Amino acid sequence: MGDFFTVSALVVTFASGIRLATPFLLASLGETLGQRSGVLNLGVEGVMLLGAFGAYYTVLKAGSQPLALLVAIAIGIVMGLLYAVVTLVMQAEQGISGIGVFLFGLGFTDLAFQKWVGTPIPIARLEPWPIPGLSDIPVIGEVLFQHNPLVYGAFLLVPIMTYLISRTTFGLNVRAVGETPEAADTLGVSVNGTRLVTIIVANVLASLAGAVVALEVGNFQQNLTAGRGFIAIALVYFGAWRPFGAMVGSLLFGFVLALVNQWGALGIISGSASSLAAMAPAVLTIVVLVFISNRVGQPAALTRPFDRSN
Amino acid sequence: MKSSGKVIGKLLALTAAMIMVLAACGGGDSGDSGGDEAGPFRVAIVAPSADNDVAFTQSIFDSVNRVGESRDIEIASSTGLFVVEDAASALRGYAEEDYDLVIAHGSQYGAPVEEIAKEFPEVAFAWGTEVNTFGLANVSAYTVRSDEGGYAMGAMAAALSEAQNIGVVGPIEVGDAKLYVDGFKAGAEAQSPGIAVNVNYIESFSDVALAQEAATAFVANGADILTGTAQMVVGATGVAQSEGVAWFGTQSNQSSLGADIVVASQVYHWEVVLEDIIAGIDEGDLGGESHLLTLENGGLEIEFNDAYPLDGAIKQIGEDMVAGLKDGSIKTGQ
Amino acid sequence: MSVSTVPEPKPTSPSITPMLEMKGITKRFPGVIANDRVDLSVRPGTVHTLLGENGAGKSTLMKILYGLYQPDEGEIFFEGKRIEIMSPADAINHGIGMIHQHFMLVPTLTVAENVALGLHPALSRADMGPVRRRLTEVSDQYGLKLDPDAYIWQLAVGERQRAEILKALYRDAQLLVLDEPTAVLTPPEVDDLFATLRQLTADGRGLIFISHKLHEVMELADEVTVLRDGEVSGHTTPAESSREHLAELMVGRSVSLTRDVGVSEVGPAKLQVDNLYVRGDRGTDAVKGLSLEVRAGEVVGIAGVSGNGQRELAEAIFGLRPVVSGSIAINGEEVVDHTPKSVRTNGLAYIPEERMKDGAIGDFTVAENLMLVGYKEPPFARRGFLNLEKIKERCTDLVHRYAVKTPTVETPTRNLSGGNIQKVVIAREFSSEAEAMVVAQPTRGVDIGAAEYIHEQLLRQRAAGAAILLISEDLDEIMQLSDRIIVLLEGEAMGEVMRGDATVGEIGLLMSGVR
Repeated sequence: MGDFFTVSALVVTFASGIRLATPFLLASLGETLGQRSGVLNLGVEGVMLLGAFGAYYTVLKAGSQPLALLVAIAIGIVMGLLYAVVTLVMQAEQGISGIGVFLFGLGFTDLAFQKWVGTPIPIARLEPWPIPGLSDIPVIGEVLFQHNPLVYGAFLLVPIMTYLISRTTFGLNVRAVGETPEAADTLGVSVNGTRLVTIIVANVLASLAGAVVALEVGNFQQNLTAGRGFIAIALVYFGAWRPFGAMVGSLLFGFVLALVNQWGALGIISGSASSLAAMAPAVLTIVVLVFISNRVGQPAALTRPFDRSN
Repeated sequence: MKSSGKVIGKLLALTAAMIMVLAACGGGDSGDSGGDEAGPFRVAIVAPSADNDVAFTQSIFDSVNRVGESRDIEIASSTGLFVVEDAASALRGYAEEDYDLVIAHGSQYGAPVEEIAKEFPEVAFAWGTEVNTFGLANVSAYTVRSDEGGYAMGAMAAALSEAQNIGVVGPIEVGDAKLYVDGFKAGAEAQSPGIAVNVNYIESFSDVALAQEAATAFVANGADILTGTAQMVVGATGVAQSEGVAWFGTQSNQSSLGADIVVASQVYHWEVVLEDIIAGIDEGDLGGESHLLTLENGGLEIEFNDAYPLDGAIKQIGEDMVAGLKDGSIKTGQ
Repeated sequence: MSVSTVPEPKPTSPSITPMLEMKGITKRFPGVIANDRVDLSVRPGTVHTLLGENGAGKSTLMKILYGLYQPDEGEIFFEGKRIEIMSPADAINHGIGMIHQHFMLVPTLTVAENVALGLHPALSRADMGPVRRRLTEVSDQYGLKLDPDAYIWQLAVGERQRAEILKALYRDAQLLVLDEPTAVLTPPEVDDLFATLRQLTADGRGLIFISHKLHEVMELADEVTVLRDGEVSGHTTPAESSREHLAELMVGRSVSLTRDVGVSEVGPAKLQVDNLYVRGDRGTDAVKGLSLEVRAGEVVGIAGVSGNGQRELAEAIFGLRPVVSGSIAINGEEVVDHTPKSVRTNGLAYIPEERMKDGAIGDFTVAENLMLVGYKEPPFARRGFLNLEKIKERCTDLVHRYAVKTPTVETPTRNLSGGNIQKVVIAREFSSEAEAMVVAQPTRGVDIGAAEYIHEQLLRQRAAGAAILLISEDLDEIMQLSDRIIVLLEGEAMGEVMRGDATVGEIGLLMSGVR
């Protein structure tokens, strides 16, 4: 039986938590921006699966991880345009359309995987890029600076997204459009134009979140992302529609998963105790749902299509 | 044998129709409902994951296909049905179409099997992995002593491990997964008392990324051998491959997941019990018995990966264990 | 009924050409012509009032001007040039600004951010420094004091309106459209607003002022265009017109604007409220220690800007809202914490301020709404069975007596106009022959003709000896009908005045907290 409170065990746990937090973070940052503009996309999970399969398949066939990321971005753009047509042009009910996207992603990736790949064939996993200098710092360097580039990218997006939302004119438009679209419209801000951009960004980030899962695992399986997209949506509410809040929620989820994992690996908990501990994420999800019932900071026009003649 | 995601549970219920359609496309051919006496033996399979999962579901498909090598059979299948309600409607559909044998391949399918088998007493059902037939004359149960192969491989793993530290990635502590893990652990400890065998049940059959992190944590904590069971292990084999850590597989031959690191796989040969069951049906006996795969009856087999440079002495340990388990001189403790 | 159209007035200074000309504007919606060949011209430095009942086509015309709708026919000229206004952005670029009745402000943004919205290229740093400086200049120039960094949700209604006006002035709008800007203001705030508007016209800006309050129109307008049923029914100036004439142009028949209240015999107290405390939706006290008494044959008016405890008072009296402390008595009987049904039994009728939410059920027929009270009593029901014959008879009679314009009594109520829905509610409540009644905002959103009728009915009830508590934001209505007036501010009575003892100005001061 190992001892959890050693530096090395803690380092492994925290590094693992950050890795596990990354897909949550990417997806919830995108969804945060989308919801700030008043658009709910319950299809995050479906887009993640599509991005995951697209990235996996690209590496499998072309052997290039950068190309795989470009493919994931392209999938995100296509899915974003599709969702924009459905919700902005056709003004469909957003909750239902999102579930449609999820079903499509789940079914399509399963079918494509079976038809084109067949059996889970391993691909090269993402290699860590230790940051020179910083990664040599004891403990901190190992926890923070020995990850793959997508992890750094996801966390760098937090301040970028915060700045975008609170300090740029685009962010001002996003907030106005998500809160009082009529007011934005009367000042010449394009409501649907703004939402189109946020939808595309949200879908691209969801698709990349899926790609991160596939490239980190180095393989593909049916339902690879295992519900992470839905948790990411809950984290948007948990984070009170702020990028930083989404990051806190993502890290919380990542760390709890890593902690339970680590305890299992060290034999600190075993058997039924580990089964109980493994429920922690489920309990956490319920806690998050309790937060949702508060809805502090929820954009007033969330899920409301904009129609000038109303 | 697959848990639904924690948040997505309800939403997944909505996927029933779509997934069934898609999975049917990817699965076997579905037959027409002709019911001609002289025609092929018609088998329907309902299973929780994909037929190429290199694990549980693939094992039944491989086995049915092996049965098909010696006689004319026709296979219809619905895969990916980890939601029990969806599986129930698929089972009912095949029963209505009067298949000769309807296989419910998942221990979670017990309730619908009991209910539907009562409704269709003329249709033979096979349910695994279980021993319970509900006292119904048209239900055969089948299960596997996965602890036997696990025991033999655990002994080899203990002999192979220089660090004397082994990590086991489990899904949920039930069924053949629990048997395998317990047998593996017992075998390793019998071979090398005091060895650290840490087991982490990640509480999911599908979360590949979590399986990957579980394996990463084992390796970071000094494990130099990994094993695991169920379809999410592809996440763990990826870690084994990139860290150069040896892997023992189970359920299907997993050598394709890492030619350099897979030492051996315990393979399920369900055809052993399927042939029994089918022979019974030919004679008008629709079931009522419980069947078991063991090393002794050939239902379990250790398949070595020829590409892995396994020390002959260690391989010998495994073969001795298999022999002992077959003749009863060694017990797994289960 | 035909109405004479007043000839074109002579422009006060003919040399000035109009800054805005809308010619022959027609806009059709399925089944209705919202604007039918409407002409409107506005000269710089003047206030042009657009007058009309609800649904006369004022908002449609203004939405066309602001690019929210496209006209089916007609042309718009601005500063001599023909322009197409495809979107609000076009309107803003031409120098047209609009002050919406329902403020177009984002509550979660600051004043400065609301002003800056849409001004800068989509992806640039939102630098509020220059915006704040320029905003302060503009607000100093027009005396529209406002903290640029305050969030809209923190502002009072009057301040929000200032923010709305500043938004247009910041964009240097030369033509401002104000859609019923006084509806939410206290009389002193209206005076301030008018002072600002006069300053704007002195700068040479043109104003389109939409209102249905005739005295405001007479006070502020240089020119008046009246719309009725989508068409221009008249064009005049206050000097050449009168309130009665304007009302006639709006309604299409002559309307009496003064009410002959007559004398009624005042009897014993029917409704008594003593030291009443009631909580509002936000959990704070909305009514604080209010006492009042309404006697038979008397109308007591509650004046005040909405949101000062009127709704909570009415709901508490009727048993719809729990009382914290204090007493309410009807006919001398304590009814605090009684159910609405029991309050009714004690002799109270209630006309709620939101007629479509609390007063009537839109999907019910006119007859069903009329029978919501009393449907259980014989002869309309016996042992739980409705007597549809008797009900129909009774409802047809009520519809006739209260002049409800409806095709049949089986018509769904939501298909009626606001005024007619209100008449249905009033017919039901007044016919219950209650001795006391709480009447809230009886003519809000109701056209002048219907308002005239409703007022007559109220006075008839008073003459018949009912004790009426009249709650209204419309100070004219309060002053015309009430025998006594209580001014409510933040849940407290600021003072009580008798009919004829106070001017609008004095009551207005009480409404804004000056005793």
